[in-house]
Amino acid sequence: MSIKSGYFKKYLHVDLSQNKLERRDLSDSFLERYIGGRGFGAKLVWDNLRKHDFKVNPLGEENLVVIAPGPLTGVYLPSSGKNSFVAISPATGLYGDSSIGGGFGVELRQTGLDALAITGRAPELSILFIDNNDTSIIPAPELKGKTSLEAEGMIREQLDTQSAHIATIGPAGENLVKFACVNADWGRNAGRTGFGAILGSKNLKAIVVRGHCDLPVHDIQALQSESNKAFKYLKEHQYFKLWQQQGLMNVIEYANEKGILPTYNFKDSVFAKHDQINGDTMLSDYKIGDSACFSCSMGCSNICLVKNGKYTGTVVEGPEYESCAMLGSNVGIDDFGAILAGNKLCDELGLDTISAGNLVGAVIEGYEKGIISLADLDGMEITWGDDDAILKLINKIAYREGIGDIIADGPAQIIQKWPEMDNIILQVKGLEQSAYDSRAGSSMALAYATSDVGAHHTRAWTIAREMEEGQDWSDDERVDTVIYHQKLRPLFDMLGVCRLPWIELGLNEKHYEYFYRYVTGNDVSLEKLLELSNNVYDLTRQINIRLGAKRQDDSLPYKVHSSPALTGPNAGKVVDKEHFQKLLSLYYRKRGWNEDGTLPDNAEDRFND
Amino acid sequence: MSRKLTVIPELCSGCRICELVCAIKHFGSNNPKKAAIRIINTYPHPVMRMPIVCSQCKVPACAQVCPTNALRLLDGVVQLDSENCVSCFKCVEACPFGAIYAHEDCDLPIKCDMCGGEPECVSSCPLGALRLIPEHALGETKRLNNVLSYTQMREIEFYEKGEKKTIHYADIGKEEL
Repeated sequence: MSIKSGYFKKYLHVDLSQNKLERRDLSDSFLERYIGGRGFGAKLVWDNLRKHDFKVNPLGEENLVVIAPGPLTGVYLPSSGKNSFVAISPATGLYGDSSIGGGFGVELRQTGLDALAITGRAPELSILFIDNNDTSIIPAPELKGKTSLEAEGMIREQLDTQSAHIATIGPAGENLVKFACVNADWGRNAGRTGFGAILGSKNLKAIVVRGHCDLPVHDIQALQSESNKAFKYLKEHQYFKLWQQQGLMNVIEYANEKGILPTYNFKDSVFAKHDQINGDTMLSDYKIGDSACFSCSMGCSNICLVKNGKYTGTVVEGPEYESCAMLGSNVGIDDFGAILAGNKLCDELGLDTISAGNLVGAVIEGYEKGIISLADLDGMEITWGDDDAILKLINKIAYREGIGDIIADGPAQIIQKWPEMDNIILQVKGLEQSAYDSRAGSSMALAYATSDVGAHHTRAWTIAREMEEGQDWSDDERVDTVIYHQKLRPLFDMLGVCRLPWIELGLNEKHYEYFYRYVTGNDVSLEKLLELSNNVYDLTRQINIRLGAKRQDDSLPYKVHSSPALTGPNAGKVVDKEHFQKLLSLYYRKRGWNEDGTLPDNAEDRFND
Repeated sequence: MSRKLTVIPELCSGCRICELVCAIKHFGSNNPKKAAIRIINTYPHPVMRMPIVCSQCKVPACAQVCPTNALRLLDGVVQLDSENCVSCFKCVEACPFGAIYAHEDCDLPIKCDMCGGEPECVSSCPLGALRLIPEHALGETKRLNNVLSYTQMREIEFYEKGEKKTIHYADIGKEEL
């Protein structure tokens, strides 16, 4: 058992305050235990927290942001284009991570690095340029206020590069909006938990990577033959074509049929005009091209163009399910062109579409219920489906104008200003809930409550099983399923690959044991890899506990317990409070955590060497 | 029968699997920057993903500038003779498509050799954006698309033995006659 290949064994440490760039070594035991991606990030962030005695302001110089692909990123196997961003999140004040597809992580690895860690704050707005072995911090005051996509275009011109991959932030990031995102490859985003704001707080407008190193692979022949098997399996799958054609957009119809589609800020879970915003509509009237992440045959992304109406000429990479649901049914928009315009606007401004759609929906409901006044809205009325007002409000958030300045600071600030909004906003730990209604399934509710980053489906997505198999399974099974997801799904983020071939087309997870083995030469079982992933889950939990999280924070939004969907197959359903607490206690027990959600006393010993 | 490697950029998703399999086959390394085929992305006007690969020109510009005659058209493939190549990379600059590549680890220019007749990129492309077709069929897709767009296809639904079916037909625009 040892690492023979698969890594450069180096990461770049950047201190923007000191203008210092340093290539640092990574030990074999570090590589073996933390694998890559989110694992590297969690460990480096943990070490940084200890160095600062656990006093780290998410938007302070001291917050360390780790950008890490994994050992499988960029390697010939299905969907290997993933890269993790990890830091303390300004949205939650706790551990945060977000993953980005496309080719940024692949290019970063090709510069001969396993990861990038950035701390400090540049004296003026700058870009970080990693050009294979040459690295520099370049002042770029001319990019101030530029949108994410404008900035990418300008940098390409200035550096005269077609082949580089560029991650940028937009005005929302510069203005420290707590759900600002990082954009790369013209429309890929590390969307959640506020990485745009973190880079903004560091005065870092963009990261440019261009490399040409071989990616180390221990046994390329064995890898190729294993990968060919996996590609063949995917190609022969009955839904493979559907994924190529619609990608995640096929989920709109599924979610509506099952009654889990966020509609009117989760007041409902079915949308009457679902057929105007679904994958078929996209395919027949808007899609002009396919788009795939690196080495992905499913190619779930789409290029769409609005061909008529007031948004004519809008070209956008997307939308995928979450963006379409949150900027569509959740705010009552039934015009697919307007959804595309909203998606494009969020890309340009550098705003997370999920959080933006969630909070705009909440504001509309708050106004409808009289909690937020017309004066609060700066005199601009906003109602369901009013795309003009909705896009204006999104703009105001990014530029912190009027009410936008309050929304930009996220749920906590909104609730502080209008306490009754606590019952309106769906969020956990300060992160706005993503686009799967959990009232119909208590395991999905448990998944949101116990996700280390807040109400996001990235760690566990058990709703599909609940919808397919009904509610008739034991608490043991529910908890076990959530925990298994929380082991396996983050493992993909550690390896640096996408989970969709597994979760959507059923590619056997056993393949990843072989992929990992053939790339690193490290002969370990899938069970061992899952154990390592679980260890990182314990670590992110301990980070959260150290930063003040308690059992009460593993809680559910008001609506999930008390305000059911009005119509559809799940009308009237909520998650019972007592039953949820029982599930939570069982969940802690099965994880080996204490009843109050903390880890056993000696847990930190595992992370401190 | 001479066959041509042709690209249909409208079908390309930019996944770069072609680059990977090319580099693995020719160099044994997992490095898309060593491939003889590359996908170029442009955004947003136009949005395009275009695989760039050697066309095996019959009057190859690369061969014309080669000072040592190391590039020659043999059996429909412009082949690089590594013995005679002096690695001046004039061919890289001369190719009007930019379809010959350079990499600092490699002494020779990186150029498509058609994998001896069965290009790996073609068989591994998940979307059929790369095709190997008989030379006389070159342009057929374009011709067909042209016809289809000219005749403005329409679609009607009908039932046959209780089963819903659709039929496409060309609308010849009688109203305007």
